[in-house]
This record gives sequence, C-alpha cells and structure tokens, in this order.
Amino acid sequence: MNLEKVIFGFFVLLAATLNFGFFIGDIANPAVHNIYELFAALAVSLIATVLKFGDRTQIGAVHLATSLVADLQLVAASVVWIWAEEISADGIDAGSTASVVSLSGGALLANLVSVVLLVTETVTFHRG
Amino acid sequence: MSNPLLVFWALFGRRDPVSRVPSRVHIESSSQASSTIFLVMRRMRTPLITLIVIFSISAVGLTLIPGVGPDGQAARISLFESFYFMSYTATTIGFGELPWPFTPAQRLWVTFSIYLSVIGWAYAIGSLLTLLQDRSFRQALALRRFTRKVARLREPFLLLAGYGRAGELLAKDFDALGQQLVVIDESSDRVDALDLGSYHSDIPGLVADAADPHHLSAAGLDHPFCAGVLALTNHDETNLAVTMTAALLRPDLPVVSRTVSAPIAERMHAFGTPTVVNPFDRFGEHLRLALNAPASYQLLTWLEAGPGAELPGRGRPPTEGRWVICGYGRFGREVTADLRAGGLDVTIIEPAERGESESGVIVGDASEPRVLARADLASAVGLVAGTDNDTTNLSMLAAARRLNPQLFLAARQNRPTSAALFEAMRLDALLVPTEVVAHEVYAQISTPMLWRFIQEMPARGDQWAADLIQRLRDNCGRQLPALWKVKLDGEQAPAIGGWLAEGRVVLGDLVRSPEDRERRLRVVPLLLLRDGQAVLTPDGETVLARDDELLFAGQGSERRELESTLVVDSTAAYVLFDQHIPSSWIWRKLSRKNPTTSAVADRGGTTTHHR
Repeated sequence: MNLEKVIFGFFVLLAATLNFGFFIGDIANPAVHNIYELFAALAVSLIATVLKFGDRTQIGAVHLATSLVADLQLVAASVVWIWAEEISADGIDAGSTASVVSLSGGALLANLVSVVLLVTETVTFHRG
Repeated sequence: MSNPLLVFWALFGRRDPVSRVPSRVHIESSSQASSTIFLVMRRMRTPLITLIVIFSISAVGLTLIPGVGPDGQAARISLFESFYFMSYTATTIGFGELPWPFTPAQRLWVTFSIYLSVIGWAYAIGSLLTLLQDRSFRQALALRRFTRKVARLREPFLLLAGYGRAGELLAKDFDALGQQLVVIDESSDRVDALDLGSYHSDIPGLVADAADPHHLSAAGLDHPFCAGVLALTNHDETNLAVTMTAALLRPDLPVVSRTVSAPIAERMHAFGTPTVVNPFDRFGEHLRLALNAPASYQLLTWLEAGPGAELPGRGRPPTEGRWVICGYGRFGREVTADLRAGGLDVTIIEPAERGESESGVIVGDASEPRVLARADLASAVGLVAGTDNDTTNLSMLAAARRLNPQLFLAARQNRPTSAALFEAMRLDALLVPTEVVAHEVYAQISTPMLWRFIQEMPARGDQWAADLIQRLRDNCGRQLPALWKVKLDGEQAPAIGGWLAEGRVVLGDLVRSPEDRERRLRVVPLLLLRDGQAVLTPDGETVLARDDELLFAGQGSERRELESTLVVDSTAAYVLFDQHIPSSWIWRKLSRKNPTTSAVADRGGTTTHHR
C-alpha cells in the first residue's frame, strides 16, 4: 500500500462527494444548498489540484486539467454566491441559487471525470 | 552612376546560400529542463496544501464563532467577510477594516489563526524562495532560455565549444566579420565573461559540459543553420567527444578541433574528416618556416592574425648551427623533430630522466646555471624554452641571454597572465598555444580561400613573399586589410557575365576605379581559384572566366567600388572598355550604335530584373 496513493485517492474522492452533496437537491431552493459545503468542496478541490502538481505522465496531465476545471467552476459559483448575498439588493433568491448550483454541477462533472480517471488508473495498474 | 540600391542588393545577394540539412538524429534536450520544473512543482505541494488547509480552518472557524451585530443582536460574519479578513490578516497587510467589533470569543479565534496563518505563509514563501535559489532549478531555467535563443537563430552560426583564451580571441575575430556564434563552456566565469565582452551580436552562452551530446544539441548541433563546430576546450578528451558527436550526428558539418596530443589527433581522425589543430606541431612548423623563409613566415603570421593586425617584424633567425631545447615534453619533441628535419643540430635539456636515452640529451633542471653551462650556450645559435612553467622559462631565457647575447630566443608562454613578462623579454619567437589555435582556426573557417593561400604560399619562396608584403603595404598600409572573396557568377557579377563568357575581361582592367579608370583600385588580388586550381597573386594580364573565385585584400571603400563595377552595367562598360553606355534600359535600347550593345542586350532581362 502506498500512502501517497491513499491520500491522493482520498482527496479526489472527497472533492467529488462534497461537490455532489452541495449539488443535490432542488436547484432553485437556497435552503437545501449549504454554503459551508460549497466552501469545503472548493478547499478540498484546491488541495486535490496541488496534489496533482508535478506528475509527468499523460494521465497525470489530464488529472490536473480536470481539477483545474473543477476549481474554476467552484470559484465562479462562490463569486456568484458572494455577489448575491453581499452586493445585490435582492439577496439570495431562486435565480442566484440556480446559478450557483448549476456552476457547481459543472464542477461535479469534472470531479466525476477525475474519479473515473482514478478508477481507470487503478484497474489498469499491473504490478511487475 | 552606380545605383546604391544595386550595390545593396549585391551585398545581400553575395551571402553564401546556406545548405539546409535536415538533422539526422534528433536529441531531446529539453527533457532535462522540464524534469527540473516538475520537481519544483512537486516540492511546492506540501507548502501549498498547508496554506489551503490553514486558510480554510481559519475562515470557517471565524464564521462559526458567534458575534454581536451593530444592533446588539447575535450575528455571525459571513464566509466571504471572514475570508476577506483572513486574507489581509494572514498576509500581514492588516487593514483593520471590520464589519463590526469582535467579541472576545472571536478575538481568541483570530489570535489563534493569525499565528497559524503567518507560519503557513512564511513556510510557503520560504519554500518558494529556496526553490528559486536552487542551483539545479536555475540551471534548468538558463538551459531553457539558451535553447530558445538558439532555436530562434535565423542566420548561419558556428558552435564554439570552450570559451577559453583561444575561444575568446576567435569570438572577437568572427564577431568583427559578422559571423554569429553559439558558445558552450564548462565554467560559469567564462560564460559571464562572454556576457561582459563587447560583441556586436548577442552571443548565446551556456554553462555546461560540451562532452554531453544533449548540451551540444541544445546549443544547436541539429539546427539547420549550424555552419560548423569548433572544439577548443582545454581538455583533449572533451574535444574528442565533441568531434565524435558532431561527426556522428551531423556528418555534413565541418569540425575544427584542438589537441596537443598526437594519439588523440589520430582518434579524432577516425571520425569523419575533422581539421585537427595541434599548436605545438604548428609552432614547430612555423619555426622551421621562420628559419628557412623569414618573409613567408612574416606574411603567414600577418594574414593569420585577423583584420586590422599590425604587420609583424621580420626576424632573422640563424639558419645553421646548434640549437638548445629546454623541456622535452610533447612541445619539445615536436620542435626537435621539426628542427632536425630542417638539418639542424639539437641539444636537449630535460629535467626528468626518461626511459630511453637519446643522444644529445642533458638531464637536469634547465633553470640551474650549472646545467645550462653544460649545454655550452656560447657555441649555440638558438634556445627554445619550452617547459610548461612560465617562471622556469623566463629565468632560463634571462640566464641564456646573459651567457650568450647573440642567441635566438624562442619560448612557450603557458598562462595569459605572463604575457607582459614575455613581451618585456623581447624574444625572437614566442609560442602562445591559445593564440596559435585561434589564428589557425580563424584562417581555416573565415574564408576557405585564405587557408588555401596559406597552404600554397610557402612553396613560392621567400622573395615572392617579401614582394607581396611590400605590395600589400603600398596598397593597404601597415594594418592588415579586410580579406574578401568574389565569385564571378550571375549573382555576384551580373554586369560582366557576357564579357566573361567572351573572354574579354582582364584582371588588370577589372580593378580600375569607377570614378577614374586611369586610377587602379588599391586592392591586391591574392588568389584565383578556377576549377579547383589555385593561382597565387594572379597578375594584371590574367583573363578571367565565368565562376572564377578571387580573394582580394583591400579596404572596405575599395571593395564597394569593385562591387559596383561587378553589378552596374554602365560602370562595368566604363571601367573595362572606357565606354559610356546609358544606365537606363530604355536609353540603352535607343542608342544602338554602341559596339557592346549586343552583349548588354543579351542580358537585358536579368538586368531589368535587378532594378
């Protein structure tokens, strides 16, 4: 067992699960989407990205690319949330919630690709 | 008269076409550099993750702690405000802008997170700075920059491995000729010296071991514009490795390599046809030439010294008698062999006892007066101080001069710092190995015709050389003028092409001035090359033919006048036949009474093409 692989798999998976947890639920209902979950998803996604730094293989490059996409989507979702809550006069309404959740849905797709890559890598791994 | 645009065109058209040879073997040189950058990214993982975790904990923690709002109600600050607060606090910017005053519980958490985040930042920034200072990382960056610079070169360049004393002299000469170079040297001091040197062109330099094919490849060995490889490092092994690499990867390139050892030279010759320069060997040959033909030797050293060199003095070495050679190493052996081949007696002083005992070898330290006395300097005619120690050589020379002031003194200078001392000794012949190498390589690479001239020159005898020196001095002054070659083909000499085919162009007429044909241009034709046959100093009666190559010596202004003769039809007609023909094509068509019109009209198409 390789501790590095454990940590790597843990963070990739955790990023996907947190993202999924935030995404699931009625898209326009702010009550079923917790902002702390979005924050956690973003933080874990950033950590997963950094963990993917410095891998020279082709699959490593795709891993990094998916993570960067997820980060971008989650940062965009956070910015929309902040705008809605702090700056716009309406506060969090159905429209802004829908934007935030759909952006995080994009990130979820990227995170799922990451998980698929992780699984593929594990399945095709031959020792010796 | 002459159209300046045409002269321009001729100047640019004159460049030799570059043979674009596709590289046979491509070596991936950037892999080393990129691997270092990946390593840096891997090393940044821990600091960055630490930073993310610390930020997340501090920001989330701050929003979870209950506070009191402006209206006295319990209120938590939002995630965004908490992130904003942590950002300016952790980076030690400290705006102090708060949504509302913190409660003691919040202050407690902020205190905790300040210490935590400052440590995180210090760790991350510290790691980053350490990595930037890292030697291998900086080398990788330098290699990348160098590789990019070389890959962008769009003119023929020479790859110079080894920027020592010889390399520096050569770089100066080639830079003066407008030849681009790429330098690779092991020592960072030398590459710094390259940056500090005042060159016209920007010469890319890399600190790396030239024996590594990857480095040579990064320096442009497989670049289509690479025009030659010069292996001039101080290590014979490295030079051999460079020669080998160049011969195997780019067999089409000319290679010039320096060595002081005959076995290494043999091994170099096993790979293709490199030109091997052995300074000791050359010095022996030069010494022999200096003994037999002082004027030839004077001409040789002048031509090899590069543009602008002062005419060296002509020595009068003794042609018979006994010579004393101190130091019987590789240098001593070469000189001894050359002197003996010239029919001279040689006495050798060698500090170390060698296995084989040769006749005329005195064992002992030549810097000791007792040992020198045994060599009987009073009856000798010349002394060669050839040890590899400058101090020994100098003291030997001083002692020898005291014993016999008439001696012809020759010496080997090992370190460039001793140059002033040897100059003060006013020796008759001085070997500076690095300079010999530089001059030799310059003569071979700058113009192949000059090398041909130098090779054929000694056969012409001393008197001929003396006359030529006199001619050069009369025409061009005491400083060596620029040497340039002209090929009489459609590109460089379009104006006289028709007359060349008819055999009506005589060299003596060609070098008349376009301003006043009664005046001869102050140029000296050194060599005429026709179908591989060389004619040295062709005279004025020589009839020129198409595709003849000529090597001229003369100042730049004279060169431009000659070029306008070769390119402009009306100038050519005036200079060669004292005829005035109109410069424009229409007027030429209209005035048909000119006897040379037929020749001009034949080439009417090409002429208009140039306009």
